[in-house]
Amino acid sequence: MAILSEKSVIDKQFLKEQMSLLLREKCYTTISPDVIYLMKKSYEEETSDSAKEMLKTMIGNVRMAENRKKPVCQSPGFPTVYIRWGKGTDIAGLKDILKEEIVNDTKDGFLRPSMVHPRTRKNTGDNSGVGVPNMELEYDPALDFMEILISFKGCGAELGNAIKIFTPAQIGKEAKGIKEFVIDTVIKAGGKPCPPIALGIGIGGQMDIAAKLSRRAVSVRKWTDHNPDPEIARMEEEILGMINQLGIGPGGVGGKTTALAVRYLPSSGELSLLGCKEGWDENLSHWEDRVSF
Amino acid sequence: MKEMSLTTPITEEQVLSLDVNDTVYITGIVYTARDMAHLKVRQLLLHKENLPEDFSGGVIFHAGPVVKKVDGGWEIWVIGPTTSIRMEPYAEMVGQLGVKVIVGKGGMGEDTLQSLAKYGSVYLLAAPGCGVTHAEAVKKVLRVHWLAELSVPEAIWVLEVNKWGPLIVGMDAQGRSIFKCIALKASNVKERFFKVQ
Repeated sequence: MAILSEKSVIDKQFLKEQMSLLLREKCYTTISPDVIYLMKKSYEEETSDSAKEMLKTMIGNVRMAENRKKPVCQSPGFPTVYIRWGKGTDIAGLKDILKEEIVNDTKDGFLRPSMVHPRTRKNTGDNSGVGVPNMELEYDPALDFMEILISFKGCGAELGNAIKIFTPAQIGKEAKGIKEFVIDTVIKAGGKPCPPIALGIGIGGQMDIAAKLSRRAVSVRKWTDHNPDPEIARMEEEILGMINQLGIGPGGVGGKTTALAVRYLPSSGELSLLGCKEGWDENLSHWEDRVSF
Repeated sequence: MKEMSLTTPITEEQVLSLDVNDTVYITGIVYTARDMAHLKVRQLLLHKENLPEDFSGGVIFHAGPVVKKVDGGWEIWVIGPTTSIRMEPYAEMVGQLGVKVIVGKGGMGEDTLQSLAKYGSVYLLAAPGCGVTHAEAVKKVLRVHWLAELSVPEAIWVLEVNKWGPLIVGMDAQGRSIFKCIALKASNVKERFFKVQ
């Protein structure tokens, strides 16, 4: 994450240099400290030999990537950039800068050329493409800084995602229906999304809102923080506890380290004639995906 | 659980001696192949055209690398497994090609399990998200097929590897799958969570 402040007009060249540093030093070639912390903690607590071996290889790989200035993973996934800015700052030109940096970083071997045309599957060869990167913008006039959070989320994890529209009856007492859907989704995903995963849950709004919330939940919040809402914090802990009893383990080889974090973002649902609808989406994230900062 | 070193071409006899959870190290030739390479092989077979390689006794790696150009050749900069289940529709075809070892991540389904038993082959799991580590085992890029047409990740890269591993036997030729077994156990655990009290 980069926080740029003080200057009311941010110099384009300065912004470009900062983005280049952020991407190359913090994004591709390492993972964020909260995730490394959780990986090491899981390694200490894990009792299965093959799970321990898997975690050791994963942690060792991050160190090798840092030392050799190589990307941690060959599969960069899809980039979404979360931006918050205020009255005094200007985001004009930022998208172009990011597009340009991504193309340059692809040429220099930090990213695999992975973006293809949606119909022809033709690879652009440099990760350029319509809608790349995706930008999630949040304007708050009171902010006297600009916050830029870049998140590449792998696409193997996308194969495990699920969405369901619940009726109040399906949600049930103490959200039992939702919890059951989460656990079913994690079992179905198994080793496919590179566990240990982080699980983002978006609830409420309509389908599009729930989907965005679930992605934001794993990408923006630290995997080590505690939810300020005690009710939600309790639900996150409860679901995390359940997932880690399933025995899927790192890489799907078995073990108790299946998820490192569960992150939940709610939005109000709508009361319609048919009852209360809640869109809900589950977003699975690979262990190496929290590469923002 | 035993440890075994395999050198390509790999024989059916070697494959049959492997059990789930065994550890394997591979030396020799490995072919990368993802969705588009599988699709293209299928098209060529349908039209009775020649394939660029003889895959019998071979190792297929579900992977798309990051490559760098080095004096007239290529270097595998970073490489790691992609989610194998996407290649499930080609289970029978891969068996018919004589592929003895499939390497990927996340495991595969029932069709692959049947094909492995039918043709005497195995599925190995490579540590996911460990692109730098796996690249260490790649000694040389021997050749590449369909690069211009399919692009870097989807092309078939023919690699020479040395003591590549540890790779874990996830599905063996006796019809056993750690993924199936783990999913079944997980479902039982889930039943306990949501049992009506």
